[in-house]
Amino acid sequence: MSVYALQKLIREINRNPDMRARFLQSPQSIVTGSELSAEEAAALLAKDFGALYRLGVHGLLLRPFSILHGQSEPEYLVAIRAGGPV
Amino acid sequence: MTIAYACAMGHAPGILAWTDAAPAEQKDRLYAAFAELRRRLEAAQLDALIVFTAEHWANFFLDHMSAFCIGAAGRFDGPIEPWLKVPKVEIPGDEQLARAIVTACYDNDLEPSFAQEMHFDHGTMIPLHFLTPDMNLPVVPIVINTLAPPFPSARRCLRLGRVVGDMLRHSNKRVGIVATGGMSHDPGERNHGYIDSTFDRQFLEHMTEGNVEALGTYTSEALSAAGAGAVELLNWIALAGALQSFRGQVLSYEPVKPWATGIGAMFFELSERVSSREAGRSAQS
Repeated sequence: MSVYALQKLIREINRNPDMRARFLQSPQSIVTGSELSAEEAAALLAKDFGALYRLGVHGLLLRPFSILHGQSEPEYLVAIRAGGPV
Repeated sequence: MTIAYACAMGHAPGILAWTDAAPAEQKDRLYAAFAELRRRLEAAQLDALIVFTAEHWANFFLDHMSAFCIGAAGRFDGPIEPWLKVPKVEIPGDEQLARAIVTACYDNDLEPSFAQEMHFDHGTMIPLHFLTPDMNLPVVPIVINTLAPPFPSARRCLRLGRVVGDMLRHSNKRVGIVATGGMSHDPGERNHGYIDSTFDRQFLEHMTEGNVEALGTYTSEALSAAGAGAVELLNWIALAGALQSFRGQVLSYEPVKPWATGIGAMFFELSERVSSREAGRSAQS
């Protein structure tokens, strides 16, 4: 169920300007005290979009999140297609 | 009064956010089609616009998903995406019409949720940007869950549309309907970039012929096979349910690779005109 918390957090960063600013300024402060597992927190802090995808983050949450970090579409696709079938 | 206008169009973010990534001739044909849809909308002198729409986690989340939600706010805003390259604006709602739709649904054994606060993402903002750029036409969004399975069936979407259409035919307002989303695409997923033009053209054919029966047979699996985003065609199917008897005109269909989406733009001849023509034919025979 934990992926629920991960998706909820990414959604808030995507749509809430204050949350977005806080995350971009200090990602650790957002992750600390959250309900994320260690693996989820590490993937989020590393902006490892492939790992986040494989953890189960919905594409329509993850792609907008990656755009916020300036990731191009080809880069994004390489990341989420890595590691074999989900 | 009646349903005074109906159209359907795609809402791929690239239409506005990566406009120049598309081949110029494809972009030009689509933009021309959108402009024609706007011209016809303005000629229809509408009082309000219903948008059968998809959203992309802007308002709803896994804490509470509903199959259908009627946007019953006095005003909306959007887009929520800072990268869509359009200014954030306010859009008037039509609370009275929204309430009438909710009531009509309940009276007909359909129970959509309703929301007095809603923020639009590209799914609604792109159609409005092209159709009502002055953002002065009151809007009632009807959001269909195309995000988190299970999805409502095509038959159920036809039924929702039918209830809305029947209510509008007894309304004292001139109301337009827009369906938005699709066609084949797999946004943000591993097959992002995949476009199934054969699927898209088949669907457009059904919408052109007003083949409500065929539209009702699309399963979630059949839609999803054309990409996760093809499920948004449930919005088009709901529109078909509202119109019931109609003919469609494809103003443009473009499989735009850089926008990773098959994009359709259709205008619909309204049922009343079709009916009167058919009545004329039968009177002659």
